[in-house]
Amino acid sequence: MLSEQEAKEKWGVAHIYSSYNNTIVHITDLSGAETVAISSGGRHVNADRYESSPYAAMKSTGAVVEVAHDRGFTGLHIRVRAVGGVGARVPGPGAQAAIRALARGGFKIGRIDDVTPIPHDTTRKKGGKRGRRV
Amino acid sequence: MSFEKVILIPLDRIGALIGKSGKVKLKIEKICSVIIVIDSNTGEVTIRGTGKIEDMLPFKAEEVVMAVGRGFSPEKAMRLLEGENALHVIDLREFGGKSSSQIERIKARIIGEGGRVRKNMEQLSGASISVYGRTVAIIGEGNHLRTAVDAITTLSSGSTHGKVYNDLQEARRREKLEKLQLWENGNVFD
Repeated sequence: MLSEQEAKEKWGVAHIYSSYNNTIVHITDLSGAETVAISSGGRHVNADRYESSPYAAMKSTGAVVEVAHDRGFTGLHIRVRAVGGVGARVPGPGAQAAIRALARGGFKIGRIDDVTPIPHDTTRKKGGKRGRRV
Repeated sequence: MSFEKVILIPLDRIGALIGKSGKVKLKIEKICSVIIVIDSNTGEVTIRGTGKIEDMLPFKAEEVVMAVGRGFSPEKAMRLLEGENALHVIDLREFGGKSSSQIERIKARIIGEGGRVRKNMEQLSGASISVYGRTVAIIGEGNHLRTAVDAITTLSSGSTHGKVYNDLQEARRREKLEKLQLWENGNVFD
């Protein structure tokens, strides 16, 4: 199935988990079982409230991209995930920046998928019957 | 380099999403470099990515479409495309159960007489709020969004309007203080 030129290519998967509190970028091989590199927003900024910022996402993607280049990866499929379940269904502010940084990092980008876990019938949201009491 | 996502929006918001002779739809398509296909019989909106991956904003496009579907005017929904604004949707069935009269009551408390409460909350938190159907949607930046979400959840779960206003003012004061300290200390990211 693979032509000779394609055989030289090496594809991986970039899992981007993006919530309102953090962004985690995780590159694996195609099976998803073998980690190549992982980094999160919290590794690159000090204040808690900047962990999910596009800047932190860019920095952590940059760190991951370097390692992936060293391992000889040429292309990446992207799987973006928001919190899902009872939480937010739309990826946070870091996802966009991470995708952009991956593309700028010189990788071929294959599929971009949204893999947010969506329940068919939800479990109860945390906080109890009387809601969150501040 | 492909992306595809289907979103369901209410039929009476489709007109707003398309806009006068397709203006709104075209603007979203241009800014986010996506293709939007709208089925006006079922309310299915398909978002497909095109163009270079660097200019593509598929998740922003998704957020804008959802915001318009949740009752925001296209002008306000476009706020999502600037800065770090994000969308948050709260389902009121969490608070009022399935009975429509309860949901109606909570909606009335959030909107207030002639929209007074909603306007106050928007001014105090700096976020935009839209009450539509069984949901409340909020657009705002990081902390603003969080304070607005907190205000609406506490209001819907029974707190008085006075308490909610106090909390919002307190959050605002704290933010101002943080800003002052930021200028004194200088460094933002390290």
